[in-house]
Amino acid sequence: MPPSLSRRHFLLHSGGGIGGLALAHLLSAGEAKAASGNHPFAPKPSHFPGRAKRVIYLFMHGGPSHMDLWDPKPDLQKHSGEPLPKSFGSVMTRRDVSRNPLLGPIKPFHRHGQSGLEISEFLPQLSALADDLCVVRSCHGDSVNHPQSVYQMNTGSILMGRPSLGSWVAYGLGSENQNMPAFVVLPDPGGGLKGGPPAWGNGFLPATYQGTTMRPGSNPILNLHPQAGTPPERQRRVLEAIRRFNGNHLAQRDFDDELEARVRSYELAFRMQSTAPGLVDISTESRATRELYGIDKNHTREFGTRCLLARRMLESGVRFVQVYSGGPSGWDAHKDVRKNHGHYCNATDKPVAGLLKDLKARGMLEDTLLIWGGEFGRMPMSEQGTGRDHNPWGYSVVMAGAGVKGGTAYGSTDAIGLRAEDKPVHVHDLHATWLHLLGINHEELTYLHNGREDRLTDVAGKVVTGILG
Amino acid sequence: MNGMRKFATPLLFLLGCSLMAPASEPEAPVTDRDRQHWSFRPPLRPKLPEGNSPSPIDRFIEARLATESLTLAPEADRRSLLRRVTFGLTGLPPTPDETRAFLSDSTPSAYDQVVERLLASPAYGERWAQHWLDVARFAESDGFEFDQERKEAWRYRDWVIRALNEDLPYNLFLQFQLAGDEVEPPDEDAHLATGFLMAGPDMTDINLAAERRHEFLNKMTQNVGVSFLGLTLGCAQCHAHKTDPISIQDFYRFRSFFAATVVDPKKSRQLPPRVQETRPDPPASFVMERGSFLRAGAPVRPAFLRILNPKDEQVSAPPGGATTSYRRSALARWLTRPGHPLTTRVIVNRLWLHHFGRALVATPNDFGRSGEEPSHPALLDWLATELPRRDWSLKSMHRLIVSSRSYRQASRGSGTAWQARIAHDPGNLLFSRASRKRLEGEAIRDSFLAVSGLLNRRAGGPGVRPPLPHEITTTIRKKNWVVSPDPSDHVRRSIYLFVRRNLRYPLFDVFDRPDTNASCPQRNKSTTPTQSLTLLNSEFSATIASSLAKRVASDRDPVATLHLLLFARLPTADERSIARDLLDGGGLADLALALLNSNEAIYLD
Repeated sequence: MPPSLSRRHFLLHSGGGIGGLALAHLLSAGEAKAASGNHPFAPKPSHFPGRAKRVIYLFMHGGPSHMDLWDPKPDLQKHSGEPLPKSFGSVMTRRDVSRNPLLGPIKPFHRHGQSGLEISEFLPQLSALADDLCVVRSCHGDSVNHPQSVYQMNTGSILMGRPSLGSWVAYGLGSENQNMPAFVVLPDPGGGLKGGPPAWGNGFLPATYQGTTMRPGSNPILNLHPQAGTPPERQRRVLEAIRRFNGNHLAQRDFDDELEARVRSYELAFRMQSTAPGLVDISTESRATRELYGIDKNHTREFGTRCLLARRMLESGVRFVQVYSGGPSGWDAHKDVRKNHGHYCNATDKPVAGLLKDLKARGMLEDTLLIWGGEFGRMPMSEQGTGRDHNPWGYSVVMAGAGVKGGTAYGSTDAIGLRAEDKPVHVHDLHATWLHLLGINHEELTYLHNGREDRLTDVAGKVVTGILG
Repeated sequence: MNGMRKFATPLLFLLGCSLMAPASEPEAPVTDRDRQHWSFRPPLRPKLPEGNSPSPIDRFIEARLATESLTLAPEADRRSLLRRVTFGLTGLPPTPDETRAFLSDSTPSAYDQVVERLLASPAYGERWAQHWLDVARFAESDGFEFDQERKEAWRYRDWVIRALNEDLPYNLFLQFQLAGDEVEPPDEDAHLATGFLMAGPDMTDINLAAERRHEFLNKMTQNVGVSFLGLTLGCAQCHAHKTDPISIQDFYRFRSFFAATVVDPKKSRQLPPRVQETRPDPPASFVMERGSFLRAGAPVRPAFLRILNPKDEQVSAPPGGATTSYRRSALARWLTRPGHPLTTRVIVNRLWLHHFGRALVATPNDFGRSGEEPSHPALLDWLATELPRRDWSLKSMHRLIVSSRSYRQASRGSGTAWQARIAHDPGNLLFSRASRKRLEGEAIRDSFLAVSGLLNRRAGGPGVRPPLPHEITTTIRKKNWVVSPDPSDHVRRSIYLFVRRNLRYPLFDVFDRPDTNASCPQRNKSTTPTQSLTLLNSEFSATIASSLAKRVASDRDPVATLHLLLFARLPTADERSIARDLLDGGGLADLALALLNSNEAIYLD
């Protein structure tokens, strides 16, 4: 929406009860300045007080197997090797596996904690934190394909090009850190996310709200640093000259909010330059902390480092951090679940558990929502003997923190984990719930696009009140 | 359809009962009241307001200003005007020679000659093609997981550039894009134009062919709606439009104009993406209840939108011996017949938008009831009725617009009259002065390449892939960005860069290049620190700055030449002193970098 339209839309919106939310982008530039200090990352009030102030979303790319991790299925064990009973009807699969024999859970499940929540042996470290976890076992989505499901989990739609959850949150709430973007993404260094960067894209929202990708190391943000060999003094002089040129330029023109905003964007860029490297510099973290995240061990170092970075971002005021696990194929265990999930659980179990413990120890878990999940789950039928195909019809997503009920399993799939059965939770419902936790009414977080007040949850979405503490 | 039914049962079972098949939504009749909405009535030629201005445009603008006791602002200074019109028509800066020539030519026709030169330049088509490609949501890959390349898609992009440069009349510009194969069967070029219909994303890797076709056709219909009609038809794909008198039946009748157009994706990736219809009798079309590909409802036949077809005119049958359905050409002809309420209003509004920074109808893709009312209805209708009188020539309309005093106004000034403009027209909705404009990412890149002397003006051909930063290539599939082998290609104009749907070129991405999933009539204009980091620190900026420094190093007055190249003017004493301070401790490349990053480099007065 071009800013010039804003007057009418502002009136429309304020009539419709959007309140202070997103106001900065509905007001004319001048008014926005008054409302938000004219800062793209300025924090904005929520619709109502939310339990969560920030979100960390661990995205297990490829589709982790719910019946091998979070959703115990003794019946599947019992009937392992048999064909899918006729009573289940026909089922759409990606690779035509519906007639393949059932495959029992790869590893046994055990009860953990006071809650007795059942978790697989694949995840020993997270099992120890069972009482903090809320496993939604009845999630479902709409596509058996990776990119469509990656898009849906991130944007609500199986079509590409819609604004991502993180962008909506950034648009709605801004950042608490004036030197950092509101939405930061830490992609898997292996790359190859199915569907690519549109997963954290801003869609039709202003570019300000897109996920800024960051990575560990000395150059965490694209173009953060001057070209190699530029002494800091030299850059300071260039920036000073830009400031003076712009000052002259502005002085010869009427007050122009946009020109002024651009002057400030250089100041902000400069502050990001000094802030971001410190944020990703984990050398100041204690040895105990590094061990907590598994940074001392080869197999957990990479993911552990990014989990720790995520905590540091949140601490510094970033609103929404997304951490991806899994390169081009990731958790996509078509061939051998034991091998594939063995590898990925080994790489992530300890870091995720470490993150959770760390957030707790720092008192941050109270108002931080932690999400663990992929784009879908996997089929109870086998593929190539020991693998499993995609399953969007029923799978688990795990949450912790922000007042979400710990030690809980919510909803269920059918006896073999094929379809969401009891209290089904669609992706739209997950989104509505997450926004709710942030104090946002998902029906009121809207943006006018091609003649329609578009929102993350389209025309659907129900808050899953059963998991709220 | 049978294939579709096969999946229906399990899917419905799975989705639960909430979506159990509803009865067809009844179709509400179009009422006389519906037809009263301004944009559904044909534009009538308005009388020119009284006044002395020779330009009809100025008469309308002045008449509206007069109601607020305002007048047009004085003409912009000559170098601002030259920069504005040069970037506006070609997306490139004036060269120092062009600047000097214009500033020293005091004949009355000097400006008109500049306009003629710009309109005759191939750069004009290269500039305006991007505006249209934003609307067409053009990209050269499918999107989704594999984001496969469409190797010949550039031919449509080149067609748009060529059509604009040759000033193909807009009625044919429209007709060819919808039905070039039917309108001009012998003309291969006209066939390429139908690449418009195939420009959108395509889920070629999805399991269900029926779902893919459904989505593709719906998006195609939606895009024809917003692009040519300025109507958000897409809102009616699931249920009757909430604000406009467009029923779900209307939507699927409209969609059936394209029922025969979907081609084999494997083939389409190798061939120029254009419509391939091979039979005069397309498959039956249905209302897809609630927009679901699983729920074919009542059958439908192609029909024009009822709201725009008060006499209930029928779509004619294909001529004898036809090898295609001639449905698309029927639609194209209906859209371009004299007095169509929307077609010409929509296109002249787009021209106005890009020249003035604000459209007369501020929602250029939505002329329906939820869109904005025109700020200057009579002017809009005058322009809309003028286009056919000028043989649908877009260049002629550009000439008309940029030669008006309204276009040539200053964007800044002082004194009481100026203060009155700010006070009585704070948002410049009445065009009481020129609005400052920011260059798009493409124009920023092109102008930087031009001023540094690096720009390669070679035109046309397959999309070019300059190197990307390592950090970017790791987030996409391998082989999805194979760098073009010839480095001289890397510095061609932005319109020739390969458009990957899943990866916007980083410089364009930070400067609000739109996503290619949906039509974009007007880009966002955000101001972010990542833009600043890009222009300050990227390898591109460093290369430009050092080339620029080399280019001016042997000049007698390099500081002056830099200003002339970048801003079409000489530096002030103050600017010379800033430059001196910087040059004292550094080199010309530092000064070049600072100037490239300054506001004046990317804003036009």
